[in-house]
Amino acid sequence: MRKYIVRRLVQMIIGLFLVASVTFLMFRLLPGDPTASLLDPAFTVEIRETIIERFGLNEPLHIQYINYLQNLVQGDFGRSFYYRRPSVEVLGDKIWNTLILMLSSMIIAYSIGVIGGMILSWKRGSKIEWGGITLGLFLRSAPMFWTGMLLIMLFAFNLGWLPHSGMRTPGYEAATTFAKFFSVDFLRHLLLPMITASLYFLGTPLLIMRNTMLETHGEDYIELSRAKGLSEWRIMILHAGRNALLPVITAGALFLGQALGGQVVVEYVFGWPGLGREIVLSAQRHDYPVAQTAFLFLAFMVMLMNLVADLFYSYLDPRVKLK
Amino acid sequence: MRAYSFTAVLVLSLLLMLSMHTWAFDPEDRVKDVMILSTTPDYDPVRYESAMITADVWRELGMDVTVRPLDFHRLIADTRDEPYDFDAFTLGWSGRIERLDPDMFLYSLFHSSQAMPGGNNRYGFMHDEYDRLVEQQRTEMDIDARQQLVYEAQDILAEEIPKLTLFFRDEIQAYNHENFEGFLVMPGEGINNEWTPMKIEPLGDQRMLRIASTEDLDTLNPLAATTVWDWKNLRLIYDKLVRISPEIEPLPWAAESWEITDDVVIDVTLRPDMKFHDGYPVRTEDVSFTFNYMMEWGVPYFDAFLGPLESVEAVDESVIRFTLKEPYAPFLTNTLGQIPILPEHIWENVVEDYDLDHPEQWDNPTAIGSGPFAFNYWRRGEELRMDTFEDYFEPASIDGILHIVYGHAEAVLGALEMNQADMNAWRFEPLHIAEVERMDHMTVTEAPDIGFYYLGFNLRRPPFSDKAFREAISYAVDYELIIEALLQGYGQAGAAGMVIAPGNEFWNNPDLPRQFLDVDEARYRLEEAGYRWDDDGYMYYPE
Repeated sequence: MRKYIVRRLVQMIIGLFLVASVTFLMFRLLPGDPTASLLDPAFTVEIRETIIERFGLNEPLHIQYINYLQNLVQGDFGRSFYYRRPSVEVLGDKIWNTLILMLSSMIIAYSIGVIGGMILSWKRGSKIEWGGITLGLFLRSAPMFWTGMLLIMLFAFNLGWLPHSGMRTPGYEAATTFAKFFSVDFLRHLLLPMITASLYFLGTPLLIMRNTMLETHGEDYIELSRAKGLSEWRIMILHAGRNALLPVITAGALFLGQALGGQVVVEYVFGWPGLGREIVLSAQRHDYPVAQTAFLFLAFMVMLMNLVADLFYSYLDPRVKLK
Repeated sequence: MRAYSFTAVLVLSLLLMLSMHTWAFDPEDRVKDVMILSTTPDYDPVRYESAMITADVWRELGMDVTVRPLDFHRLIADTRDEPYDFDAFTLGWSGRIERLDPDMFLYSLFHSSQAMPGGNNRYGFMHDEYDRLVEQQRTEMDIDARQQLVYEAQDILAEEIPKLTLFFRDEIQAYNHENFEGFLVMPGEGINNEWTPMKIEPLGDQRMLRIASTEDLDTLNPLAATTVWDWKNLRLIYDKLVRISPEIEPLPWAAESWEITDDVVIDVTLRPDMKFHDGYPVRTEDVSFTFNYMMEWGVPYFDAFLGPLESVEAVDESVIRFTLKEPYAPFLTNTLGQIPILPEHIWENVVEDYDLDHPEQWDNPTAIGSGPFAFNYWRRGEELRMDTFEDYFEPASIDGILHIVYGHAEAVLGALEMNQADMNAWRFEPLHIAEVERMDHMTVTEAPDIGFYYLGFNLRRPPFSDKAFREAISYAVDYELIIEALLQGYGQAGAAGMVIAPGNEFWNNPDLPRQFLDVDEARYRLEEAGYRWDDDGYMYYPE
């Protein structure tokens, strides 16, 4: 087991090195150069050159690359061209906002999805199944900006129950960091974007769960449980459900890795200051350090969540042996 | 024999005439592959559609036109750098307040020294007389004489037409008149100018001015700030020696007065008894420190304003002496009017204390200045709060300002409608104007923009290297349709070569010729210049 984890970690480091190299090249191959966004268009030629030098962009590509890797190994992810601040801080400012929105949406989507999927498969052939699948597919294909706007129209503008934008009421002063994220005011702001995102995310766990559950129906151990006289609910959740959970775990882990990069659409519709927009902007601005750090972070999260999912597998299904 | 040679001559001359005819419409001579570069429609539909509308008219004239939408940064780079592979492009200049001074639009955009890779003379416009005029207006300290030079420079641009201005937008904004009164409207700035928060009066319980914006600021550090959003806020936290009055005149502000002893020595007297937000007094040394510090480290944004300075020194407790390398006309409005006063006691050791390569890298988390509003907090992506500085020499009536960031223009509109914001930070989308006009608690304001959207030409290669061609083409642009269709009518038509907006009343030359869409006029002028058309209507260069 320990050997397995070490091996995976080594693989991860190699993987991250590759990602770092590829993103380094990728952004530099993009048409247009960072100076276009870095510089005010009114700047003269001389200023432009000074700035290019200040950021080391005058060096040949391979030197820039070596510098980048050297700094990376020392934990220096570079300074944003645009903000002039360390890229880690630029992303760090927004990461909590994204983390809270994405984790809460995911927990809701996956709890409802998993249980819903179990019920759908158990009610195979019924109207409940038909309705559930249609609803799942409908929510999965409804674009988030559309559901988001509908919710805003209804709950924020027509009923006036919930705020339509932002994370906190303008001028809200939190006494502590804890209160910044766990006040009633914050939760009221969180509600609509969270519902929008979880409705969209719901379809995947719901349908995967249903499909894998169907395969367990004829299995011997289900028959055995029935023969033992266990209740249907108990069989469904503890026996069939546990075995059908594996693909959902993989999907969920991969999803979480990506979701931490933020969801640009939700952030846009609800004015949520998250990572997604920051990453899109950094690519648009050719702000290499921020964009590279963001991609590296996402790659790391996906790899890490993969590892977590694999470890979880062996716990859920004792037949899976990690070597 | 004679008959034979006669026939031969006849046949030969017939052949010659035939070949003349076909030679006359040599495919090589067609006006073809004319390329207009533009932004992608999703980046800016107005610029893209302007190019499309124009291309249609040009096709009607028999030109073969392609519109190529590019990523914005690519567009900037491609029009600025070799190989200059384009014939025309649509871009815009925003109307920032320092651009009220004509120097930037006249000198930086059209002087021949800027026509090199990376320069802003994207047109390749070279004109000796023009160069002389814009150099002169830069050093002319007498404002009326300078106005004359600026007028003449505009005349040359209108005659040479390196670009066509498509339109000047109207800045439509709105404020809640139940909460506040006394808003000031300025050209280019609208109501979100530096005077509004200083002058408005609260009418009820709402004493914080809530400004709804779709954009956040990027930094609190005046040495790193470059966007309009940075400066609209930082200029309230940091004071300036001179501020541009609502009537667009330089007004002594943190300076009590100035005295121009000769054209290159200016003595500025500091207003007494001013304080920074942390209680330290504002000294003449702080002022001289600010300018010297910025010159020493280099601040690209202020480069043009700091460049003409030779030295800055605090003469005594009340006077600061600025010495210029040569006379610099925008000195009062731009150098003194834009550069914020920094507290020396905070900035002098920043680089050492925080181990930085350049002071622009500092976060400046508490942003201590001496302006009318003191920084309270900034939650990135959410809001900035500034509170009225009670020790200011003219403290504002309101309690403070909240600059609130919304995700998109609809949310801003919603916030205004639901009384969650008192004004918007930037102009409305044209489609939202009718909606805000229906709101009883809102007053809609209108200001002319001093920036503009334009169609630039590449004067380095045909067809736009030909002045007569450019003249004719100035009648082949549908100015009205662009304003009606793309701006819902909220804009003023531009003109050939116009760069100083009519809203910039003092500097705009009111006698410039105006053009309008007239395809026949364009065709007539092209014909006069020797352009030809074949039977299929394709246009050819003069023989």
